Amino acid sequence: MRWKKLGIAATTAAMLSITACGGGGEENTGTDGNDTADNASPTFEEGGDAGGAIDMTRSKGPAPEVEGAQQGGTVTFLATSGLTTMDPTEAYYTNTLAILSQLVTRSLTQYVYDPEANNGEGGSVLIPDIAEKWESNPEYTKWTFTIRDGVRYETGDEVTCDDVAYGIKRSMDRDTFPGGAAYSNEYFKGGDKYSGPYTDGQEYDGVKCNGNELTILMERPFPDMPYWAAFPAIGPIPEGDASNPATYKNHPLATGPYMFGKYEPGISLQLVRNPEWDPATDPGRHQYVDEWDMKFTEDQSKLEQTLLSDSGEAQTTVTDESLSPSAFRTATQDSPERIDTGTTPCTYMFAPDYRKITDINIRKAIGWAYPYEDAAKASGSIVGVTRQFGTTLLPPGIPGRLQYDVLGNEGSQTDPEKAKALLEEAGAVGYEIKWPYIKGDELQEAGKDEIVSALEEAGFKASPVAVGVNQYSDFRADPNSPINVRAFGWCSDWPSGGSWFPPLLKSGGSNNYAFFEEKDVDNRINKILEMPVKDQPAAWGELDKYIFETYYPGPVYGYLGVATMHGSKIGGMKVSEVFGEPTLADIYITE
Amino acid sequence: MAMPLQEMVTSPDTDPIETPDAKQVAGRSPTQIALERLRHDKVAVVSAAIVVLFVALAILAPVITSLVGVELNAGDPSEDTDAFNFPVIGPPDNGFTWEAPLGLEPGTGDDLLAEWLYGARTSLEVASISTLLSTIIGVALGLVAGFSRGWLDRVISFVIDVFLSFPFLLGALAMAPILLNRFGGDPEALDKAQFFGIIFILTFFSWMGLARLIRGEVLSLREREFVQAARVIGVPTRTVLFKELLPNLIAPIVVSISLSVPAFVTAEAGLAYLGIGLTGRPSWGQTINQASGYFDEYALYLWAPVIGIMLLVIALNLLGDSVRDAFDPKTRR
Repeated sequence: MRWKKLGIAATTAAMLSITACGGGGEENTGTDGNDTADNASPTFEEGGDAGGAIDMTRSKGPAPEVEGAQQGGTVTFLATSGLTTMDPTEAYYTNTLAILSQLVTRSLTQYVYDPEANNGEGGSVLIPDIAEKWESNPEYTKWTFTIRDGVRYETGDEVTCDDVAYGIKRSMDRDTFPGGAAYSNEYFKGGDKYSGPYTDGQEYDGVKCNGNELTILMERPFPDMPYWAAFPAIGPIPEGDASNPATYKNHPLATGPYMFGKYEPGISLQLVRNPEWDPATDPGRHQYVDEWDMKFTEDQSKLEQTLLSDSGEAQTTVTDESLSPSAFRTATQDSPERIDTGTTPCTYMFAPDYRKITDINIRKAIGWAYPYEDAAKASGSIVGVTRQFGTTLLPPGIPGRLQYDVLGNEGSQTDPEKAKALLEEAGAVGYEIKWPYIKGDELQEAGKDEIVSALEEAGFKASPVAVGVNQYSDFRADPNSPINVRAFGWCSDWPSGGSWFPPLLKSGGSNNYAFFEEKDVDNRINKILEMPVKDQPAAWGELDKYIFETYYPGPVYGYLGVATMHGSKIGGMKVSEVFGEPTLADIYITE
Repeated sequence: MAMPLQEMVTSPDTDPIETPDAKQVAGRSPTQIALERLRHDKVAVVSAAIVVLFVALAILAPVITSLVGVELNAGDPSEDTDAFNFPVIGPPDNGFTWEAPLGLEPGTGDDLLAEWLYGARTSLEVASISTLLSTIIGVALGLVAGFSRGWLDRVISFVIDVFLSFPFLLGALAMAPILLNRFGGDPEALDKAQFFGIIFILTFFSWMGLARLIRGEVLSLREREFVQAARVIGVPTRTVLFKELLPNLIAPIVVSISLSVPAFVTAEAGLAYLGIGLTGRPSWGQTINQASGYFDEYALYLWAPVIGIMLLVIALNLLGDSVRDAFDPKTRR
């Protein structure tokens, strides 16, 4: 899924602003504010199954109470990012997904935060939502979901199987909803031909309803269907005028505990209790607070001051933004108990263009020359908290992740001497590295300055290319841009290597910023995709290691973490590693 | 003609009571009178001293930094900053140190004294070059418009009106991406282009006031007897403009210069603060922008450039006021 849409000010996360990415499981790597100073190089274990865990037995509502939860009150939600479309079919940014799926719209499955998961460290689990249970044939080409009774829209109308089928058909319309995720088209039967009810009508034989049984047929095996079913796009949407794409995004019909009140697109959103939501039908969500008052495109320092001051309304305020190092420092000193840290399934890579930098020694030299810690600090990341280091493409928490270290630098050490030696071996001293950066973003520019001096020290010629924030994404994606390295971030949509290697390192992959192309790797990827599902995680982990050992596409310069904060009267807030967003459905106000 | 008179007056026999002042007044130009007034104006003297100090600091920036032993952009984030990206030496956590008299920048660990000194340099460079250019353009067009009757005057006045109607901020906003697209591939050229671009924008939007002022003055001067006389005896137009009119316009020009320098200093900092000014070199506005989030934790980071701008602008403004008072024959103290 896409990382939060940025407001006017571009932050370091700008690199991630166009990543199509998603939810994954991940261990909390022991970053609770206080010990971060000593935790500069967290140790990652092989990924567990947090977030990747599916628990179909938890299908009975109501959801278990959050310990100490109380009813009532209004929570203020502040964010510096803007809010893109709230049409459930098109929502694909982490913040819109979190707000919709945790508070407003229900889908076939859902993630809940379970403090017991992941050996008591806490993590997300995928559980039933509108679907009571599901099953597939052994080839994963036919999925059957059983739709629950008693789920109603905010209007009081019952949600039927046909509504879900309509929602799914709607999710196949790439013309009306260009910003949404395209998995329905990719995997569902005839998905490349059928383009939704608005152009091709209701006739589509990939989705069928038989009483309460919703059957989805696949074009190719899709073992990860339950994860895709957690997206708001795979949920009930009423037919006809009620769901007109032009207006539905301003007021999607609520099936969850809250419904839209006053909504100024992109600026503010008020959510009020949905009286038609029946907790007995929902095994995951809660309805503790009376009202959500959400404000977007706020100023970062104002937001931080509000939370740090903790007076009046600020006591019942939450945010999904990471704190700046300065505010994080104040918060760790004054009120460490109000900091919430967490991880996201997002990896950053400084990717050499595989077509242009063909010598593996030069790529390895870049890996030794890259100033991991310097660049992270200069660009405003908090090492060990909002930036964690590692060497593998798969971020921690993806099942099957295998630890390896091709360079032997632990993903964080820079050694210009070794880089220089490799360059001399390649006969390429003074090799020119050209990469784009966002001009006008001081933090990015400061990071760029560090990279320039590190590369020059290692014997490269550094030529950063200044690009405006609005052109950056296109410029970087353009294969013909006059650059030979691209920095990018990628987040998975769900915890599986299948959402990493095919888009990133397969020839012609949708987000192959490295323009990596090896027949050998393509074949291995295809082979894994055809493997039995239970063998896939380990195979992805092996492939990660194999690619970097054999071809070394470029340095991974860290993983994205979240360090956010809440007011003193807020309870139940955790950071969900699926979205890197607060667990909104569990939040309550204490007296 | 004055000489014999003076000699007669100074003769002790004829008039011993006459003061020496009277003799000097007789021999001084308006500029000399103004300078004399300025010398006796305490505010002007203090302001001028501050301005001179800033100019000296800016010119000597490389010398001072090497004397103190600091350098521009020499920070090493992993060595010089702690887990929260705060500097490990100097303020805010440790006491004063000569290694970094104004502290280090959080995040990058760059020295802030060096940034400050080079920031002063940028401010004064931009302000003085822009002032010079806008004064030359303003005076030239004002003179021509005021002196030529008919269509040329109308054309120039129209151009002035058109320029006055351009919104300054919009121009600055529009120029940033143009430069970026043109010079994006070459960072050094981009930095140069930005520097000259800022000067261009500031000049482009600031010459009109002076041009109008000069035109008005010339309109009234050109009907005066000494100009008429010069034209009658066939003095070339150029000589009339530069020898007869210009000397009479020194006062408004000087006043305009002294007031536009501080305006340019603030404009440069303001643009940098908004992110559409200079980025490739140190600038106070940029530092203020970066430091604004640190006020609670690290106030000195913000105070240094704020006090720099405040002092310089106040001094320049007070000096400008004094200059105006000194040149205005109607003020008497």
